[in-house]
Amino acid sequence: MSASPLEIVLIAPLAPIAGVVLFWFIQLLFIESQKFLLTKIKPKHEPLCRFTNFLGILFQTICHALGFTITRSGISSFYVSVNYGKVAPKKKKQGIFEWMVNGFLFVGPFFIPSSLLLICLYFLITDSFNTSIPIDLTVSHYSFAGQLIIFGSNLYTFSEGFFGFLSSIDFLHPGHLGFFILLIFLGLGIRPSYMGEKKIEKVDLIYDLKNIKNNLLHRPIYIIILFLFSYLLFYLSVLFEQTWYVLIFSILGWLSIIAIASMIVTHLFLLLIKNSDEINDQWKLLPYIVIIASYVLARTIFYYFPVEHLKSVSILIMFVSTFATLFLLLKLKSNKFKTKPIIKPLKKVISGETDGPRRVIKQ
Amino acid sequence: MDPEELLNNERIEKLLSPHPLSFMRLQALCIFLIVWGVIVGWLANFSEWKDAYFGQYIVIILAWALVLLVVGVIASLTTIRWSIFFLYLGVVLAGVGLMFWQGWLEASNVFIPFYSVAMSIVGFLFVEWYRRSHKYIISNQRIIFRGGVITKEERTLRYDKITDINAKQGILGQIFGFGTIIPISQSGFGLGSDSSFAAGGVGVGTKKAKFLGIFGGGKEVQTPRARSYYELHGVHPYKDIKQLVENLVQGSVITPYQQEQVAFQKEQVDLQKEMRDLMKKKLKINNEEDSE
Repeated sequence: MSASPLEIVLIAPLAPIAGVVLFWFIQLLFIESQKFLLTKIKPKHEPLCRFTNFLGILFQTICHALGFTITRSGISSFYVSVNYGKVAPKKKKQGIFEWMVNGFLFVGPFFIPSSLLLICLYFLITDSFNTSIPIDLTVSHYSFAGQLIIFGSNLYTFSEGFFGFLSSIDFLHPGHLGFFILLIFLGLGIRPSYMGEKKIEKVDLIYDLKNIKNNLLHRPIYIIILFLFSYLLFYLSVLFEQTWYVLIFSILGWLSIIAIASMIVTHLFLLLIKNSDEINDQWKLLPYIVIIASYVLARTIFYYFPVEHLKSVSILIMFVSTFATLFLLLKLKSNKFKTKPIIKPLKKVISGETDGPRRVIKQ
Repeated sequence: MDPEELLNNERIEKLLSPHPLSFMRLQALCIFLIVWGVIVGWLANFSEWKDAYFGQYIVIILAWALVLLVVGVIASLTTIRWSIFFLYLGVVLAGVGLMFWQGWLEASNVFIPFYSVAMSIVGFLFVEWYRRSHKYIISNQRIIFRGGVITKEERTLRYDKITDINAKQGILGQIFGFGTIIPISQSGFGLGSDSSFAAGGVGVGTKKAKFLGIFGGGKEVQTPRARSYYELHGVHPYKDIKQLVENLVQGSVITPYQQEQVAFQKEQVDLQKEMRDLMKKKLKINNEEDSE
């Protein structure tokens, strides 16, 4: 099926852009959820929250500095702390350069950490960076649907390899373990806004979006130039019958997928911390011990009695045993899952009351 | 601290010791040892290169030793402390010696990871022992610094002798809330110096006659620096301790207004003394007149 010239000229280039924006919004939602979890655990884990703040500010400052470097403004001072980061240019440039620097500052932190992970991933999985056009594509490559399908296909191929790698990650392989630690660390830092020590102002998803919107509307002409540049790249791709245009947006999509995946892993990690905090005494350390012990034990058993997909099975055993331990500890060593009828008489026992005239609660 | 050791009207404000992570520079040496040992173990036993590159024990030992020594040299050069290199050299020599002595060379693929882990644990224990040997006592009159694993050292610093306070907090300190406070005394205790030196040489002449000239220059910058025994190293909570020390130092400093008041009071006392002398003289004269 061929596409109309109008579709190719005007509508088709929007397809990958729409795809990237969609993924980016999903990323924003995960960031917001992660910040919510972090604020929940903050009273008991101040250092962890300060560490995540530091990572977030570090990436933001690096992006800002990158913006100054690319616009050839130079860097006169670079300062990063746990609460604050500042980059000052050597010479202050106005116009499109200032706009670009702000763009780097506001949008960069969403993509820079995941691009670091993408570089690492390139050395760990090699067959998932396939960007070929699907064979059974019945619509024109350069139509809106065609562009969307190629974009989706690139993302699917990458996701298949990436999630396949994550589900069979070998924690006894130094490279894999290093990547996983980096995934958690960068997952904690993928957020452009700061979770403050004191609640002076609300820094959330709306705040981030407002900043980006202000930057875009500050000089709308630059947005038009950016769109024109994108369209030009698309027309060149059509002219030379290449997939350059969709490839660039596919890479941005990959970055979003990596960011989302790292935040999913980070969510699991934060949920474990949040729930284990409710367990009394030293028992709260048990789930963390179970994570390591169950995996090592599973791998040792499978070393002598090999099974198919042993790495994935070991991860599954690790997940199940950690979850079961956590559930049992929450049930036995905390007030969680204690239903009302159990708590009510307990409260009365504590306060020394009796449950009605006929029955005296046994202490 | 024993109560007998306290001075008159002295009251202890804080008893401190460094934060467990404040000696991360030393702990990092042990962490690297453990990480590299495990990586070598993995390379020699489980990796895809185990047969191609790590089939012979000499390769395993060489790889392990070389990386440790190179890292030791780099760390020593960057921190200007050759003890790091000699520490790693000692670990390598002891490990190789043990393998030779016990005839475990063939089993180096198993020995090296276990040996590295064991040495790291010993290292961690030494660092912890060293950390615990530090004790800082902040009283209302002075700061007492105590330390020493074998030789015990002590420094006492009165607040009126402190001229300057230097405080620093690294990233780890900012995350965990600890930092280092260096009180600098009037004698310059607490100050170190960074010096850099550059030299160049030129050789002129043919094979038979050569002329060699060397020229160089150096510069020195004074910087607040003290041994961990003589500073409040990695104290927690940093902000509160810093505030406390600054308040105590400020409390022992006489302000210009107070200085004026003291001068005025001195003037008054002198006047009163003069008046007393005059009164005495007059009394004496009166007594003499009465007796006549």
